[in-house]
Amino acid sequence: MAASSKVTVVLKAVKKITVQFCPFESNVGSTRMFLSVMSSHKVRATNLNCEVIPTVKHDRSEPVVEITYLDGDKLMLKGAKLDCSEMLSAFQSMCAAKELQAKLAAAKK
Amino acid sequence: MAATLCRILLPKQGWLPFTQCVRHGSKSVTRHKRPLHFLKQKLMSVTRYIPPPRPAPIGAYPRQTIRDQEDDPFTMLVKKNLKSVFQESKMIAVVQNSGSTADEMMLLKYKLHKHGITVKFFPNQVMRSFLKDSTYSNMAPLFIGHTVLFISKEPKVKEMLSSLRTSRHMLLLGACIENTLLSAQGVVSYSKLPSVAVVQGELVSGLTLLTSQTAAMLQRHPAQLSALLQQHVKQQSSEGAPKAQEAT
Repeated sequence: MAASSKVTVVLKAVKKITVQFCPFESNVGSTRMFLSVMSSHKVRATNLNCEVIPTVKHDRSEPVVEITYLDGDKLMLKGAKLDCSEMLSAFQSMCAAKELQAKLAAAKK
Repeated sequence: MAATLCRILLPKQGWLPFTQCVRHGSKSVTRHKRPLHFLKQKLMSVTRYIPPPRPAPIGAYPRQTIRDQEDDPFTMLVKKNLKSVFQESKMIAVVQNSGSTADEMMLLKYKLHKHGITVKFFPNQVMRSFLKDSTYSNMAPLFIGHTVLFISKEPKVKEMLSSLRTSRHMLLLGACIENTLLSAQGVVSYSKLPSVAVVQGELVSGLTLLTSQTAAMLQRHPAQLSALLQQHVKQQSSEGAPKAQEAT
């Protein structure tokens, strides 16, 4: 499974992750996998202040993952047509960019 | 023959020979296969033609799909178990487990066992193939990822919801309560419903409201009853007169 790859997810720059999906739809597999990865013990241990809020709906809406970063930026992943590995790679690249920004800001100080 | 006829003639010392034999020794055209030069041998082996694999003719091998459709004995055992579970229990809730530890799981199982709710795990593939054949086919999309089943003979929804609220990793996806498939919000509203006796009492009281009012009026003092009826007649006549005026 792509979710259990060797690259671990680090949540240091993340404030909140909101996952909403309708479980009776057929396109929610990747979103549910993403949620299970984010809720795993290892990933949660990287940042204990980060909240993972899952919401179960029943209105035929598309599955959406909204990630709020510490500096106020938001990343929205619409999981209807995305694969779990694609969502993870997009999330990790954004996190890496944020961490780099934070490091540069700290180095300037 | 040319090789045997070639002879080196050196009549005097210091003279170059008239004919110099270039081809001598081995022949190029032989009856046996001449061993190739090593470099040529390497080149030939590297550039050897490998034809593409031709597919087997249709009907040469039996189809693989027939083998996959047959269930192995373990799957059949699990399906039997599932059948009995669906027949006996009134409440079957599907919950997604996202990374709970063994301790949390144990505590949850203990809390639920006190109310008669058992926690069961079944493989998703077997579950989906069982549901496909049964009347509960609409539950099949719920079973993706790590899912847990909460089964109980009595629909104890309030206790289940309270224990799920305390656990962080368990997420209620849906439930099949008394052969009715409910979503998560449906389960919450089901828990807020009053008991059957209360609902029946409300229904009966609503139906008998008018007749009970009539019975109460008839049981009053006759003078009061006659005064009420006179008032009623007056009101009807006063309503009838304005309506006649409006009509004209």
